[in-house]
Amino acid sequence: MAVIETRNLTYTYPNAAKPSISGVSIKIEKGEFVLITGPSGCGKTTLCRCFNGLIPHFYQGELKGEITVAGMDATKHPTYEMAKHVGLVFQNPENQLFALSVEKDVAFGLENLGLSREEMRKRVDWALNLTGIYDLRERSPHEVSGGQQQRVAIAAVLAMQPEIVVLDEPTSFLDPLSAEKIFEVIYEFNKKLGITVVLVEHRLDLTAKYADHIIVMDEGKVCFDGEPRGVLSREEPRLIGIGIPKATLLYQMLRRDGLSLSNTTPLSSQELSKLILEAFEAA
Amino acid sequence: MSVFDGLKFRKVSSPIHNLDPRVKFIYVCAIFVAAILFGEILPLTALLLMQIPFVVLAGVQREWLRSLRGAAFLAAIIFFTNFLFSFVTAGYVVLASNVEWAASMTLRFVVLVESFSVFFLTTSPDHLGLALELTRVPYEFAFAFTTAVRFVPVLAEEAQTIMDAQKARGLELEKGNFMKRIRNYIPVLIPLIVSAIRRSLELAEAMESRAWGATKKRTNLYTLRLRRGDFALLALAIGVLAASICVRLYVYVPTLSQLLQGWL
Repeated sequence: MAVIETRNLTYTYPNAAKPSISGVSIKIEKGEFVLITGPSGCGKTTLCRCFNGLIPHFYQGELKGEITVAGMDATKHPTYEMAKHVGLVFQNPENQLFALSVEKDVAFGLENLGLSREEMRKRVDWALNLTGIYDLRERSPHEVSGGQQQRVAIAAVLAMQPEIVVLDEPTSFLDPLSAEKIFEVIYEFNKKLGITVVLVEHRLDLTAKYADHIIVMDEGKVCFDGEPRGVLSREEPRLIGIGIPKATLLYQMLRRDGLSLSNTTPLSSQELSKLILEAFEAA
Repeated sequence: MSVFDGLKFRKVSSPIHNLDPRVKFIYVCAIFVAAILFGEILPLTALLLMQIPFVVLAGVQREWLRSLRGAAFLAAIIFFTNFLFSFVTAGYVVLASNVEWAASMTLRFVVLVESFSVFFLTTSPDHLGLALELTRVPYEFAFAFTTAVRFVPVLAEEAQTIMDAQKARGLELEKGNFMKRIRNYIPVLIPLIVSAIRRSLELAEAMESRAWGATKKRTNLYTLRLRRGDFALLALAIGVLAASICVRLYVYVPTLSQLLQGWL
């Protein structure tokens, strides 16, 4: 059964002339690592806000169509109920941490849920260890780096033990190395704990290899939806401004120039180098 | 950014920092009441001297002295107005008792300021927020307080960035007379306010996403427990209060000038 399913979802922000997303119908399976990408302003963030009911509860506006997340109708349940099932991590790490220590911030959601102190302590330590920031637990969010702040935000969401974690461009404020580390953390909890991950990202170079499923959006609509190797080897996504992984582009060029490489499109440089080595051995 | 330095709390651990903030507050209030009860210089001096062991134990001497210096200007005003007033009412003569009266009023002010400054210098905002929560102040207020403290350094940094950006476009902040200088800051203030509002919206969104308002009965990761030191301080506070009330009611407190006259 799909853990997120939308049917013909159309949403217009209050006082906006045209809808930000229109006719979005997607299906995300349990345990998948889903990548949503598309040019800026294509409605990715708007779609994320629908997943935990921020739209329509927090941002009024007009929502049409159906959306079911973790078996609940997101339009009928308030955000604080959805929050137990869907965790949302935002772009700017600075603006999603409110407490004066890392540990207290991770506990924020649990305090809101009214959990007992022992249970909270257990979950907070677990989430801190999972994201590799246990040693920072007593520091103030202001004192740690951007990458560490984003890990705090992820730990805070994981502590609530959701089935789905949605990350809206979590690395756009970070340098490539910290970004890569964040992606590794995300991939780890997706594989180890079976948490469904929905990642909105431009940096396909770093993330395409993790994805089971990719959704490409443009101008509020879903253009491509499917298996990443298939979607990324097409011409159209590149033309609307998607950053196709360099390895995939190079592979296409080499094939066009007549190099006989096997048919599986590579998504990372490791995969490509393996294909080239195979081709040389065969030759 | 020196204005914000005082609000940047560094995590320190000392016997005083670790005391329960509620008990510390009761102690400060006891000192406050005692200072109001006495107008004589001797008990007020005793109250001021009582703060010193706390300051030394907490290791905040430098900050404490700085806050004393900050209070100096107001203290000087208090001294002169009191002195002038008694000078006029005494018939334009300078009496030792008048000078002493002015000095003790100033000392009273210093005692009040300093006891609160010890409190704020040795209590982390986190602790303070927790104390507010545990004393059944609605959580929204405690949260607003800690969040405000959390964002002071962020906003200070942002103000600096905006100032640099506007200077790079040719804004001269230090030019013109007083009124002109204030007006110079408008191009800094407006972007700062706009971005703060935008930030607050993002914060609200993040709060909602972490189940803000899910239950009426919110729990807390931390709790405050009274320890031996807290009971000692509580006893001290009650002692100070009781002693000063007794002295006020039953003991005649001489002024310094009377004592000196007795000796001479």
